[in-house]
Amino acid sequence: MGTVKRVAYYKGCLASLSAKELDSATQALAPRVGLELEELESVTCCGAGDIQEAEPDYSLHLNARILSYAAATGCDTLMTVCNVCTLNLRQANFQLIGDAELRARVNRNLISVGVPAYEHDVDVRHLLWELAEGEGWARLQGAAHKGLKGLKIAPFYGCQILRPSRILGFEDPDRPSSLERIIEACGGEAVDYPAKLKCCGFPIIQAREETALGELVQPIEQAIEAGADAMVTPCPLCHLSLDAWQSKLKATTGRDFALPILHLSQLIGVAAGLGESELKFKRHVVPVGPVLEKLDG
Amino acid sequence: MQVALKIWRANSSTGGRELCEYEVDAPEWATLLDVLDIIKDRHDGTLAYRKSCRMMICGSCGMRMDGAAVLACKTRMASIAESGHVPVISPMGNLPIVKDLVVDMEPFWAKFRAVKPYLQPGYTVPPANREHRISQKRMNAIHKESLCINCGCCVSECNAMESSPEFLGPQALAKAMRFVGDPRDGAKNERLEDVNGQHGIWECTRCYFCNERCPKGVDPRDAIAKLGAESIKEGIDRDMGAKHAKWFVHSAKTTGWLRETELVPKTQGIVESIKQARFALSLARVGKVPPPFPPHVAKDVRESRRLHELLHEQELGGFAGVVQGEAALAKLANGHVEGARDPYGPGSFPKPEGA
Repeated sequence: MGTVKRVAYYKGCLASLSAKELDSATQALAPRVGLELEELESVTCCGAGDIQEAEPDYSLHLNARILSYAAATGCDTLMTVCNVCTLNLRQANFQLIGDAELRARVNRNLISVGVPAYEHDVDVRHLLWELAEGEGWARLQGAAHKGLKGLKIAPFYGCQILRPSRILGFEDPDRPSSLERIIEACGGEAVDYPAKLKCCGFPIIQAREETALGELVQPIEQAIEAGADAMVTPCPLCHLSLDAWQSKLKATTGRDFALPILHLSQLIGVAAGLGESELKFKRHVVPVGPVLEKLDG
Repeated sequence: MQVALKIWRANSSTGGRELCEYEVDAPEWATLLDVLDIIKDRHDGTLAYRKSCRMMICGSCGMRMDGAAVLACKTRMASIAESGHVPVISPMGNLPIVKDLVVDMEPFWAKFRAVKPYLQPGYTVPPANREHRISQKRMNAIHKESLCINCGCCVSECNAMESSPEFLGPQALAKAMRFVGDPRDGAKNERLEDVNGQHGIWECTRCYFCNERCPKGVDPRDAIAKLGAESIKEGIDRDMGAKHAKWFVHSAKTTGWLRETELVPKTQGIVESIKQARFALSLARVGKVPPPFPPHVAKDVRESRRLHELLHEQELGGFAGVVQGEAALAKLANGHVEGARDPYGPGSFPKPEGA
């Protein structure tokens, strides 16, 4: 059976609210893949790249606080389920670990507002990485017993789990394979298409909608052309773009793509035999029903 | 060693385009540029590409290898040749093709000129019998941006520019930051206004392709974030992008978690929100529009609020907040980190079955 890995779990803003289905699926999946989640509560938004842009000193401290509370659980790993959280926490972590003077300053500030200092280092890892290698990978094979029966799944990585690679560093940013391997381990067929590693446009979907939709249409259109039944992404912000904003592409392209978009935890959850009460597909804008019927049919 | 390449040839005057394969004998130390020189010298004199210094400082030889912009003179070919992979060489993206690997750089230079890439000094008088003294630390604020050699690799891969060709782009914006952060410059706020337009900093999609591709370590995305921070600090925050960013700050210090439902009206304003009502309904129908009351408050959020107040007193606002982390991140870039991967190292080009 192997030992269970206890990780500090930082769910981030979206999994807490509009993407509750991601948290629900992750919490249900965790025990089946040997993960014990210690959910962090005294935390805030990681900054989402926005606080990094508006008040970078504040965003560094917010992330240091999250890291500090993660370290306080005694876990070595802080696990995320969002690309943006992963980049922001890892970037802050490298800054603090690599610069003792900076860490000392930040810790002085943390202590003076009642937060424990960040002393013992933690490693920030996305659920995707936990399951794509090592013990997690071994567990995944066993957990995905129901399988996806050859369903064609288009992997959409999302920028901030790959780039900048010196901060993320899990795999080659131009030739990643973690999603493909997980799809195949779950019994699906990974579908390739040119925009697999490009941007969904989410960061500018409000401020520059037209530009964002010009990006968003690419992975959706190409995945459909490549024969995908559904798409999977490890980032809930990409998920929002791909799923909730998919209908906006009708106005620009005249096409109703109807491509179901799954969170990573949900895809594995389906292969592991989890049900609607845990996976909460009803919360998706583009209905996932058709692809589930295909699986059961 | 034997090196094989496929090169996209094109001729803008005839409109022709074809993929040509070449295989040449090259020394072990050869770069992509050396291989192109061998092809042109001995095999096909019609091949067109730009080059000059061959030592990563002139910025002439930017081109795509397997869809990713590189400097030809920086790209060693030994491990690629050894793996048996045949890379596809094509011209840089987001710029019109003139011939083969030569692109028209005029749109690039036009955006460069648009940010006024020269000091506009305030001509303040230095102290009597002295000169203006600027600390190394102060100049470090623009160290990375100063490394730019105008090669175009960042522009080639910019996802925002591909969707919106008028986007100023990573190179021009990094250059703008180079001058915004220069203490000798007297036009900071005018510069910030210039980059806060429709196609300025708030159109950056944060794909990080520019940071990834830059052969000199400029990190244009970070320069854009610095411009954002400095703009907001100086009160230049009318853009939806600025309002969006500020709402995250407000959320973090009041509820900890993002106040999602109010994000739309706070970013786009009431009028636009009403226009989006039908779209919002499609989200609300599946439960993706959480009611703003009661607010979703994180535990111990007073710590976050106190942090915000404390940092405000410490006055490390604007781009200085980003610069403080650069020394540590430079260590990463220079290889002082375990597990950093060589994208062309062993195992990167798995051979197909039976090959």
